[in-house]
Amino acid sequence: MNRDRMPPLALVLTLVGAAAMVAPLVWTVLLSLKSNAELLQDTGAAFRGPYTLENYGAILKGDMVFRWLLNSLIVSLGTTAGVLALSSLAGFAFARLDFPFRRTLFVFVLLGLAIPEQAVILPQHRLFAWLGLHNSYPGLILPGLVGSFGVFFMTQYFRGLPRDLDEAAALDGASTFQIFARVLLPLTVPAQATLGVFTFLGSWNAYWWPLISATTSDRFTLTVGLASAQANYAQTNGLGYLMAQAVFASLPILIVYVLFQRQIVNAIGGAVK
Amino acid sequence: MNSLELINVRKAYGKTPVLDDISLALEPREFVAFLGPSGSGKSTLLRIIAGLETADAGEVRLDGRRIDQLPPGDRGVAMVFQHYALYPHMTVRGNMAFGLKNAHVPPAEIAARVAEAARILEIEAHLDKRPGQLSGGQRQRVAIGRAIVKHPRLFLLDEPLSNLDAALRMRTRLELADLRQRVDAAFVMVTHDQAEAMTLADRIVVMNDRRIQQVGAPMEIYLRPANSFVARFVGSPAMNLLPVEPVANGALVRVRLGDGAEVETRVALNGFGGGTLELGLRPENVEVTAPGGGTTDAKVELVERLGERTLVYAKLRSGDEITGEDEGNSRVRVGDVVGLRIKGERAHLFDAQGVGHHAEAGA
Ligand SMILES: Nc1ncnc2c1ncn2[C@@H]1O[C@H](COP(=O)(O)OP(=O)(O)OP(=O)(O)O)[C@@H](O)[C@H]1O
Ligand SMILES: [Mg+2]
Repeated sequence: MNRDRMPPLALVLTLVGAAAMVAPLVWTVLLSLKSNAELLQDTGAAFRGPYTLENYGAILKGDMVFRWLLNSLIVSLGTTAGVLALSSLAGFAFARLDFPFRRTLFVFVLLGLAIPEQAVILPQHRLFAWLGLHNSYPGLILPGLVGSFGVFFMTQYFRGLPRDLDEAAALDGASTFQIFARVLLPLTVPAQATLGVFTFLGSWNAYWWPLISATTSDRFTLTVGLASAQANYAQTNGLGYLMAQAVFASLPILIVYVLFQRQIVNAIGGAVK
Repeated sequence: MNSLELINVRKAYGKTPVLDDISLALEPREFVAFLGPSGSGKSTLLRIIAGLETADAGEVRLDGRRIDQLPPGDRGVAMVFQHYALYPHMTVRGNMAFGLKNAHVPPAEIAARVAEAARILEIEAHLDKRPGQLSGGQRQRVAIGRAIVKHPRLFLLDEPLSNLDAALRMRTRLELADLRQRVDAAFVMVTHDQAEAMTLADRIVVMNDRRIQQVGAPMEIYLRPANSFVARFVGSPAMNLLPVEPVANGALVRVRLGDGAEVETRVALNGFGGGTLELGLRPENVEVTAPGGGTTDAKVELVERLGERTLVYAKLRSGDEITGEDEGNSRVRVGDVVGLRIKGERAHLFDAQGVGHHAEAGA
């Protein structure tokens, strides 16, 4: 892409597009900063003062909020770490090792891409009930680890690395595991970052499975917890509180985005290209 | 004792044979170049020696020890890859040290060996850079350095200079020549480049069609090609190969060209069982003269002026193409008819099987 100059028309269109994306976010933030009573009379009040942090105060006073935040962090980080580890190992194996039924297994991995969560949620629920894993971190993390996408993605990435490197390392006396861990894995960092960010975001925003699996509020993730709080107090706490919850729940995502901006842009750019 | 020894090595990919019954033995510290057209199995053979590929049959020995069952890292060989294959995430130092660490060489020893290799290759200033920050020539040196530090018994080089520009290739060629004087190891180099093979190698192995066609010192390959393939493949411009008929008289073979002209060779007559023959003549042994002043006449089709000499591509009256040489300031032009003086005493003959017959030694 030519980074130097954009044609004026493209620039205008991009700005319009950007504005369309940002407007709802700004609106949400403004609503979250208004008192609920005022919004009850007129939602247009969002665009004028006075602004207040009372809705955020109310969230932070909810005694479970930090627990849910912690749960979300544990589940999302656990899922991300697990997905990266398993996808890397499986990707290396599919790309580089010779083992029986490799092709057949890879076809199964690809088929996995086509199976939606909805199709398996009932048996999955039964299975976890039988294992006694509902309302536990493993119960929330394990289903996220079996995604096909990561395996497929890492397999493709490993396939793209020159075999010369494996061979040079073999001549340097490296074992197969050392070739994986010391030579190839460090070269997959860009892919790890991309997969990691997407997995983290997906896990953080997950709603359905945590809603089903976690039934005691001390195991709620932030999405489920905030939703449950809202269901309980919808009449008394109005629009402003709801919007403050939305902003609060997105904050970690925004932080991740700011930290990994480059990887995310690269990943999406790469996918489009 | 031999350094590297290949005994009846065979290899096929699926049903396609790639190497047929390859046997070869290297002297200690010998430098051997594999020369051959694309697809002749040079890289495959190198990879079998390195252990990156397994032979279907045969043995590989190094310094008397059988190594074909050993993993690549335990064979005492080091390889320089055509595309360098440096580890991009490691520094130059890290690249060179990696193999030594795997071999549990003590850190002080590693540091000393890396420092020595860096000094020899003049890459001391780059030790803490990554390969991506180096030029092609510098990367090549690092790749060589990574091989040197291992103190291997055998260096394997797969077209080590092919990615360098002409000037750098010359320089690196000299450095390789220098390197082999310093280290106590044998060298096997694969190359497409004859000049490279001629200048560096003690012996050249010409490969084609899954087999070794000839093994010999560079000048031996040039002066006494074992068969018509080697004759054609080695030397630039290529040797002329003209269909001729033997005219039996005397102890030496006399042949008649397609246009009727006769050439007296120094090749002994015994052993020829008739059949078609090809006369092999290097262009430097076909001298351009005035029309009627040589063995025969020919019409000039193309003139290539190289400065110190001029190559003249011409056609005999019979239609056979022949390349001759004239002096640097030749006046010959396309379309001219010129005379060709053929130095029959330097001619080669190739029989119906393509086997080469040469003038008695010393000619
Ligand atoms: N992994 C492989 N699978 C199948 N066939 C192969 C494989 N590697 C090489 N070949 C075939 O083996 C033959 C010899 O290949 P090789 O690479 O040894 O040739 P080469 O002499 O090194 O050629 P070049 O000068 O082009 O490098 C070729 O016909 C090639 O197509
Ligand atoms: Mg090759």
